[in-house]
Amino acid sequence: MSVADRVPLPDATLPLAGLVVAVACWWAVTVAFAVPPFLLPSPAAVLARLVGNPELYLTNAVETLRKILVGGAAGVTAGFTLAVLVTTIPLLRRALYPYLVAARVLPKIAVAPVFLIYFGVGFETAVLFVALVVFFPVVVGTAAGLSRTPDAHLDLLRSVDADPLRTFLSVRLPHALPDVFAGLKQAVTLSVVGAVVAEWILSNDGLGALILAASENVQVDVMLAALAVLLPIGLGLYGGVLLCQRAVTWG
Amino acid sequence: MIHAENLSVSYDDVDALADVDLDVDEGEFVTVVGPSGCGKTTLLRTIGGLQEPTTGTVTVDGDPPEVAQSAARLGFVFQDHTLLPWKSAVENVTFLRRMAGKDPDPAGARDLLTTTGLDGFEDARPSELSGGMKQRVAIARAVHLGADVLLMDEPFGELDEITRDEMGVEILRLWRKNRKTVVFVTHSVPEAVFLGDRCLVVAADGDADPAANGSPGRIVAEFDIDLSRPRDESVFGSETFGAQVARVRGALHGDT
Repeated sequence: MSVADRVPLPDATLPLAGLVVAVACWWAVTVAFAVPPFLLPSPAAVLARLVGNPELYLTNAVETLRKILVGGAAGVTAGFTLAVLVTTIPLLRRALYPYLVAARVLPKIAVAPVFLIYFGVGFETAVLFVALVVFFPVVVGTAAGLSRTPDAHLDLLRSVDADPLRTFLSVRLPHALPDVFAGLKQAVTLSVVGAVVAEWILSNDGLGALILAASENVQVDVMLAALAVLLPIGLGLYGGVLLCQRAVTWG
Repeated sequence: MIHAENLSVSYDDVDALADVDLDVDEGEFVTVVGPSGCGKTTLLRTIGGLQEPTTGTVTVDGDPPEVAQSAARLGFVFQDHTLLPWKSAVENVTFLRRMAGKDPDPAGARDLLTTTGLDGFEDARPSELSGGMKQRVAIARAVHLGADVLLMDEPFGELDEITRDEMGVEILRLWRKNRKTVVFVTHSVPEAVFLGDRCLVVAADGDADPAANGSPGRIVAEFDIDLSRPRDESVFGSETFGAQVARVRGALHGDT
């Protein structure tokens, strides 16, 4: 499909210039007003932290990424599967769908302490929490998308007695893709939030745990360094979803 | 080819169609005309097996519609073109045939698009085609399926008058070539007269607004159209055409 050339990448020059100016201002403020480093370290101090102990940030970043990827995959799989079930079995739809939509209002973060009691501290608990956070936008987006197939298209396929699996793969799923990706984009953002929260409450490693520990020791430079690592992780994942979307969707 | 007996259809508490007996010969072009909500679409959907009859039976070439569906013998064309927006014109034409489990024939699909006047647009997406072109693709899709029976539900209903007339001439040309059995539903009396060998008038009893009182649609009149074939735009101005249209209009307004 020649979709790639239809959605142009935004010109990166101006945003990059904005970033440079912002960092320069930050630096200027710390120098000009002699801000104490425990309040606001200079960009150089943050960079020194990163360069001084790259393994610390790298290993923690890997831990966080693992939670995001494993939990995200589990949440997406579960959400997608339930959405397919809910949209193919009308009884299930009527029984469950209102709760799936309503559950989006519930702040999932509030569930973390409950997970702590039931499952204890550990990688698995953190993964489960990320999966939970990812699950809801995926199930709601996918179910909305799968319900969007125009009736006339389904009539057309019925008129040649097309089998349900082919109908699903060639008509229902492609019609659903824009909504599926809308759900996935929400999910990928939430997965990073979920992993960090999980590392505060349900796990002792990763960038979230590093930020929490640094906060307790008032090491603002370490916190900012950890955030500086977290940001490209989140952006990279979001970009990955966008690239997938551009590869498989139309118009 | 199509045989319906004592057909009636009710959904929930609404009677949509009652007492329909119908025979359509092989290769015949039958038009069904009536006001909106009179049950003519229901009749077409019932013939095509998309709607279960409440009473009565329908057969297509001796088989129930479900059997005809599995054998890809029914080619529907809807008012909505139902093209898949992510597929090109030719992919849309071959798509239904693939879904029906028949051997793909992309070369045949391209030929068909050429004969339906879409030369050069084979690889265009539906969004790049005009309303009339989209319906041409939808018709080509039904023909390419290899169906014996074309069931057309107001296929030109959303087109402007001029395009509509052109499409009418086009569909007759295609029909002359392929000799399919056609049931063509429309709310345009001139269109029904221009296209059909025979024109069935469907209306609900009594009330002028059948959708409101829920009285079922019936076949209230039937006309053989005495216009020689092949027909083209010149027919529209002829006296016979005007007289036939007047007769069908009369039946629609209850002056039989």
